[in-house]
Amino acid sequence: MWHNIFKIASKPDNIPIVGMLLLVLFFWFLSFWAAFKNDRIRRAAAGRPRPEGEKSKGDVVDVIDFMYPEEEQGLPKKVNCWPHLVKLEFICAIAVMALLMFWSIPIDAPLEEPSDSTLTPNPSKAPWYFLGLQDMLVYFDPWIAGVLLPTFIIVGLMVIPYVDVNPKGNGYYTFAERPFAILVYWFGFFVLWVLEIVIGTFCRGPGWMFFWPGQEWDPHRVVSEVNINWNEFLANISGITALKTETAGLLLGILTILAYFGLGMALPYLWLKRQESTIIYRLGLIRYGVVGFFFWTMMALPIKIVLRLVFSIKYILVTPWFNI
Amino acid sequence: METNTAKVDEKAAVVEAGPLKQKEIGLGIGGRRSFLLKLGWAGFALFLSAWMVSFMRLFFPRCLFEPPMTFKAGYPWEYTVGVVSTRFQKEYRVWIVREGEGFYALFGQCTHLGCTPVWWEGENKFKCPCHGSGFTKEGINYEGPAPRPLERVKVTLAADGQLLVDKSIRFRQERGEWEKQGAFLKV
Amino acid sequence: MLTEQIEEIKEIIIGSRVYKSIFRRGFEDTPKNRVLAILGNVFLHLHPPYVKRHALKFTHSWCMGGITFLLFLVLCFTGVFLCFYYHPDKINAYRDMKYFEYDVPFGVVLRNMHRWAAHLMVITVWLHMTRVFMTGSYKPPREFNWVVGVFLLVLTLLLSFTGYLLPDDQLGFWAVTVGTNMARATPLLGHEGPFGEQLGVTAYNDIRFALLGGSVVGGNALLRAYVWHCVAMPVTAIIFLAVHFWRTRKDGGTAGPL
Repeated sequence: MWHNIFKIASKPDNIPIVGMLLLVLFFWFLSFWAAFKNDRIRRAAAGRPRPEGEKSKGDVVDVIDFMYPEEEQGLPKKVNCWPHLVKLEFICAIAVMALLMFWSIPIDAPLEEPSDSTLTPNPSKAPWYFLGLQDMLVYFDPWIAGVLLPTFIIVGLMVIPYVDVNPKGNGYYTFAERPFAILVYWFGFFVLWVLEIVIGTFCRGPGWMFFWPGQEWDPHRVVSEVNINWNEFLANISGITALKTETAGLLLGILTILAYFGLGMALPYLWLKRQESTIIYRLGLIRYGVVGFFFWTMMALPIKIVLRLVFSIKYILVTPWFNI
Repeated sequence: METNTAKVDEKAAVVEAGPLKQKEIGLGIGGRRSFLLKLGWAGFALFLSAWMVSFMRLFFPRCLFEPPMTFKAGYPWEYTVGVVSTRFQKEYRVWIVREGEGFYALFGQCTHLGCTPVWWEGENKFKCPCHGSGFTKEGINYEGPAPRPLERVKVTLAADGQLLVDKSIRFRQERGEWEKQGAFLKV
Repeated sequence: MLTEQIEEIKEIIIGSRVYKSIFRRGFEDTPKNRVLAILGNVFLHLHPPYVKRHALKFTHSWCMGGITFLLFLVLCFTGVFLCFYYHPDKINAYRDMKYFEYDVPFGVVLRNMHRWAAHLMVITVWLHMTRVFMTGSYKPPREFNWVVGVFLLVLTLLLSFTGYLLPDDQLGFWAVTVGTNMARATPLLGHEGPFGEQLGVTAYNDIRFALLGGSVVGGNALLRAYVWHCVAMPVTAIIFLAVHFWRTRKDGGTAGPL
């Protein structure tokens, strides 16, 4: 079993993936460690007077004041870029170049047989950084997985600064002051993007079938799965055969999607209102809608995966032109 | 310097004088100068967009140097009944199937994302290596993400008695095109 | 004796008009010279003269932005050398890879370095984005720079993807075949996407056709990938990089508004 895992992990093109996983975990730890430390210092420093002789411009500088260790409290807050920063950059550059050299000499870049349009390698995979999207192809049609989702990811990333109205946590690590933003980011980046890449690399074998780590990649393994659509699933459960018709499927699909986004946006709104939270007022209706849309679109991926794997559901909405 | 100040003063005066004065010299909304300005910018934008369209058009070549779409596939008696022939897969990406009543030719492109499926004699199916779609010998999709059956291409008899396959004409089952002339060659 | 002569030569060089025309400051370590070292140098003036002290720490910035830029430079450098031997056509492309492997002096290391640096750059871009998110550095006044950063992220991935096809081996060929077949399914613009067919889009006029310069991944596609990879996208990336760095510096450097 370990032999099999090692065989996949030590393929030259997969080494970066192993490296990425370790790096991401390390920096995950590092950023949360820094965030929790800052939160602790900030709580302890609450109400303490500002260090003597320091000019302060509002909330942010206050926080950073207290985040210096005791022995550094008196030192000037700014230092010259030359030589302090430039020196560090130089050292860092040398270290990276050394790593790259030692990586490039023993490990050769892969080169397979000449291209042949009649012979598809099995499994044939996208470049590793797109494996998350390729894995989505199992659960969604190509126009969603290959076109719509990438567009949503890009646009979703771009709107982050414009919908995050929380003024706190600007320029320093913190978790307590922006838990929602940080949790959503790590869910999207780590669970949906990085883990999907790892699954795509280590668990997807011939015919894009799922294999557990260590399981032999048998291309002739028989997968007996019959996928049904949402309306058929409901019909089977409720026993109402009328739901199986195409029109019923269309209506049910539209209703389900509308209800999903509608409730997804309305329920948190009502809850926040009851809590008398100021967040919805600061956000405003448009920004709240944008956040809700992208958040629930993102959550639709794991939901669809669960629906497929547990209930064998293929499509939620079937129309003559496209399926979701 | 002096003229500059004078100009600025003049402008300030016009602004101060309000819409009436502006209208008098044609700068106000609907004025002559304002109209010319808009016309100028509109022309500029039109020119730029036309230019962009020409660049976009450049990405679509008129003449292609791609492999021929028709080929002769030997004499009917070279094929065994009930067997999927992979003879022309490498060169033309087409499988020719001989049934008791005649011939049909399947185009070797998975309808999911265009990989070339593999014919597995023992399991009697086409299996796509990319995302695991499976097709029956007739080309009907029955497992995996492929949304529709494989496409058939036109197969006829040439004057010399050989099979003639034309890849440029495709038949899609879900539109009932497999019943059309050319999708199945009766012999 | 020798040291004296060396000192003398040094004096002559430093005192010469040529030297003075190039370097505008002396060696003394004074606060003024420290600032001048940054401001008087076209490359270093990407930095502000001062940074906040905590910005120097590895635990704060992870050095990820800098490493990404370094890798970009490495890729430009090795890429230019690869260009000296590579022909972007169906007959020669794969053959050239074999030349790199067996014949071109240091060709193997050059190609390895280009590939591994590209993979590494994809990772460091993600980590840089993560760091910027975790320190909330996209918040006002730096919102727009985050958007520029997202463009750079997309460019990095596209650069890597177009480079994938260039060796013209099975790996790249099928990755690009599958990738561009997704373009076939683009709504409205692809001939298999929703509403594509109703608009009269076919395999010969859709967006995939424009990307490949044909209906199959052939010679035209190779040439197009090559031009995007070696000219069009690097130049675009450099323009975005310039904006990215300039905005970072104008908005207060690595550690936020001053």
